[in-house]
Amino acid sequence: MDATKSLYLTKAGYLVWYAALLWFSYLMLLITLQYVPIRTDVAFLRIKEDVVGLLHYRIAFFAHVYTGMFVLMTGMLQFPVYIRNSFPSLHRWCGRVYAYLIIIVTGPAGLIMGIYGNGGLVSRSAFCILAVLWVIFTYKGVTAAINRNITVHRIWMYRSYALTLSAISLRLWKWVIVLLLQPRPMDVYHVVSWLGWVGNLLIAELYIYYRISKRKAFINALSLTKA
Amino acid sequence: MKLLKAFCILAVIATLQSHAASTSAVLKPAVNPTTTTFLGYWVGMFKPDNDIVGISAGEHDAWDFENKITISIDEISNDQVKGHSVVAGNYRPFIGKMINEGKSFHFLVKEPGDDKYDGIFDFYITGNLLTGTWKANNKIRIPKRNYSLEKKIFRYNPDIRLTESNQYVNWVKNKKVSPNDPHYRSDYDISYFTTTRDLYKYNASVSILTKEQVSNLKKADLFILRNSIYARHGYSFKNQQLRAYFDREPWYIPVSTDVKNAFTAIEKKNIEILMRYEKNAKEYYDVFGRG
Repeated sequence: MDATKSLYLTKAGYLVWYAALLWFSYLMLLITLQYVPIRTDVAFLRIKEDVVGLLHYRIAFFAHVYTGMFVLMTGMLQFPVYIRNSFPSLHRWCGRVYAYLIIIVTGPAGLIMGIYGNGGLVSRSAFCILAVLWVIFTYKGVTAAINRNITVHRIWMYRSYALTLSAISLRLWKWVIVLLLQPRPMDVYHVVSWLGWVGNLLIAELYIYYRISKRKAFINALSLTKA
Repeated sequence: MKLLKAFCILAVIATLQSHAASTSAVLKPAVNPTTTTFLGYWVGMFKPDNDIVGISAGEHDAWDFENKITISIDEISNDQVKGHSVVAGNYRPFIGKMINEGKSFHFLVKEPGDDKYDGIFDFYITGNLLTGTWKANNKIRIPKRNYSLEKKIFRYNPDIRLTESNQYVNWVKNKKVSPNDPHYRSDYDISYFTTTRDLYKYNASVSILTKEQVSNLKKADLFILRNSIYARHGYSFKNQQLRAYFDREPWYIPVSTDVKNAFTAIEKKNIEILMRYEKNAKEYYDVFGRG
């Protein structure tokens, strides 16, 4: 009885989690659609007038904006056990799209945007480190998958997706901080440029530690007793 | 003897006539030095004559339905007066009569009557003070107002700074906190859309604002920085909150409803960048999004 109860709770938890992800992905889609068709005088670009004249910045910006949604969605499909078990080829193809978009397109684009980021050195360093770690974590996850080292693959992909979700968490933190404290806009930006991804990474590390390391220790202990 | 008598009478009439002629010459406004000093701007508060409950926000009285008015007397010939008034973003011409009442001069002037808010000014100039009333032609919320105005000279000065104790409050955007009872003043929470100390760091009429400077300013500060440019040029605001804010500035004189051609190159540039960041703040500051 207790086992089924906890199973329902876990299922409900997953449901809430995916509903939230879908809702925020929808909000991200609305943000993306502001830039369709290509316009340089709207939204975020209105306060980027000093760099929007640079061709490489424009290429990086639109590459980042247009691929972001695909990365977010393909990444989301990778976690449900059901999809992994029933449609392994879907998992592989979504994985390829997710990884190569990050490593080749939107990660490097994020780095270029970070170099020209608003908020001076504080925010620029945050966004540049984020972009570099994003590419590294994803690359590590890919190589682990190719080597069929599933545990390591999972660990790196948790970290990679934690950074992918910083797109959402940065904006969510900003909304919460403004709601509670109403600080100056650039002060908020400085805070969320770090908080947006460092917080996610901490949560991912905790998750990895408790879910994977603990289980590994359990399995080890089990095999030891058997031996 | 009869001839002498007739001569005397003629002489008396002649003197009387010349005396009369000289008095009428003194009365003629065109040559009267006092009436030429009437020409120009008379500035002060245009106050409701009826009881009306004002608006308060935080510890401040935000607005009591008074507006700063400039009555400009542009031309006086004989007893005919031409002029205009500028108040609450409304520039209205008037014409009428001036009557010399000894100690003071009485003016009765009318606005054209083709505007909803047109009416009749009835005022006296006594020494350095212009006092009187205004009655609306139509039934409007405040049908009668009174005023006591002083003569002022308007000169554009970019160096004018905003008074630091004066705080802008947007009582439309801010949350209403008092019960909705007509016997009490409406009270507003001023924590949200109000100016901060940052406003006094910059003067948008004197130096070009950089992206670094404006990007860390909140919306109300951006808004007042931009509108202070307009206020220095004597712009009369239609927006109630802006009016309530700038009317409290002692240097502020509303003289025009269009000042766009008077902006300096620095001011034009600053208006452009401030507007961009205001728009950004309005659309993105408190929503789910980046900037």
